[in-house]
Amino acid sequence: MGKRLAENKWEPKILAFCCNWCSYAGADAAGMERRQVPPTIRVIRVMCSGRIDPAFVLMALLEGADAVLVTGCHIGDCHYVNANNKTRNRYEFLKEFVDELGLEPERLWLRWISASEGFLFAEMVREVTEKVKEIGPSPLRREWKK
Amino acid sequence: MSRYYLAWAKDEDVREKGANGGFVTATLVSALETGFIDVALVVKKKSVYEGIPILTSNPEEVKECAGSLHGTPINLTKYVVDYAAEKRVGLPAKPCDARGIIEQAKRRQVNLDNIFMIGLNCGGTVHPLRMREMAADFYGLDPDSVVKEEIKEGKIVLISKEDEGKEQENWMKIDELEQKGYGRRDACKLCVTKIPTSADLACGNWGSNDTKKTFVEVLTAKGEAIFKNAMDSGYVEIEEAPGEGIEKRKKVEAGMQKLAESWKEKLDEISKLSRSGRFEFYVDALKNCIHCGACKEVCPVCPCEANAKCLDMNDEKDSYVVSMYNMLRIFHLMDSCIHCGECEDVCPVDIPLTLIQRRFSERMQRRLGYTPGMDVREKPPLYETELRWSAEEE
Repeated sequence: MGKRLAENKWEPKILAFCCNWCSYAGADAAGMERRQVPPTIRVIRVMCSGRIDPAFVLMALLEGADAVLVTGCHIGDCHYVNANNKTRNRYEFLKEFVDELGLEPERLWLRWISASEGFLFAEMVREVTEKVKEIGPSPLRREWKK
Repeated sequence: MSRYYLAWAKDEDVREKGANGGFVTATLVSALETGFIDVALVVKKKSVYEGIPILTSNPEEVKECAGSLHGTPINLTKYVVDYAAEKRVGLPAKPCDARGIIEQAKRRQVNLDNIFMIGLNCGGTVHPLRMREMAADFYGLDPDSVVKEEIKEGKIVLISKEDEGKEQENWMKIDELEQKGYGRRDACKLCVTKIPTSADLACGNWGSNDTKKTFVEVLTAKGEAIFKNAMDSGYVEIEEAPGEGIEKRKKVEAGMQKLAESWKEKLDEISKLSRSGRFEFYVDALKNCIHCGACKEVCPVCPCEANAKCLDMNDEKDSYVVSMYNMLRIFHLMDSCIHCGECEDVCPVDIPLTLIQRRFSERMQRRLGYTPGMDVREKPPLYETELRWSAEEE
């Protein structure tokens, strides 16, 4: 950590919202299967992806996340009947919002991951990290004066 | 019962004072006197630049408010919600008033059965400050001496106390003034809803063959009821609208809409910018915000009260690049903004909110195929569970 600070090397910070029943278990499975997951990701567990208020995503971006990942159960598999359909609807709004604000579309992701898809979770985190490294730090991140 | 009529007030005073035959005033007065409505919400003229919305059950007061005001861009929606949600209320409604009330009804803030919207065809309103500037810069008048304002043959007419009754040479076309950056508000220049099709009646002079007759379109059963009430109680006289009048009205509307389309490019300075330029623009414009909440307070779509999420989640200490208040307000209006421009009018730091809200909401509404404020049965798409389009389409 100290070394990295000294080099002043930027590593992306990615925030993932994971639903309790599918994608959080999927992240767990990725660990159980000993898959390599880049350490750029921070996970917040929510009971359902339908619980993710768009305000949470916007706040995450404002707080300095370089990308936000919204994950949930596959459509039709939701523990709460159809709440992930709402997530999908809100995500479309967020996508337009982020694009219009002038952020790159790669700052926002939506993925459906079931409890058994540990490999998908690891793959997704790798892909997101790669893409975000390409586009660089978020312009919404505050730069403190030295 | 056919849909189109020419109508005017029987009372000579009202007919003289009203903009086009006093039909709207007479209808409201008759509805009040026969007990058809409890209160009327009308705008009382204070000066050329100022009008005050009043809630009254006194027919005399309604008569005083006859005539149109172009320099008072007030949206009446929030007055209905705050003060008349429990009553049977009648009001003259510009297209943006009608659309705002429909949006509030969708959000269960008002009961649409109790609201009688007498729609007014609207070519646009002028910001009072611009009006004062026009009086001083183009007409050589002291702004405070102006006692009368009207729009005549496409010209803005401002008359001072001394010149009353005289024709003036220097009256200018609205077009000319607008090319110079004056004239109507930006929101009105861009507005394409010129006839309030979501109100109960639509009244105006477009298509009328006499300046003292109002062209009326009956749009709903409620509109028919209040119209019949005015007729039966002997306050208005009517005749069938001539066929060419209907055509002429359509033509005027189409012309206005075409003009609005042509403004779109001229007023949208963001469309020329790159992605990062756009970001800079938004950050630069919104950083002046002092989070007073005035734009939320007047917004005809927003149903939230003092504990609104946008204000609640905002904290000055956060010092975000764009504040949470602005992010949430823009986000929440993406599907429902009716582009009335009230937010820009009240903004104490002059943020170009008309442009910003339009940029965000227009692309979303186009994608959703949804026009807010038109049909009360349509749920706002942000509240929907299912996507309005199928995922395979993309």
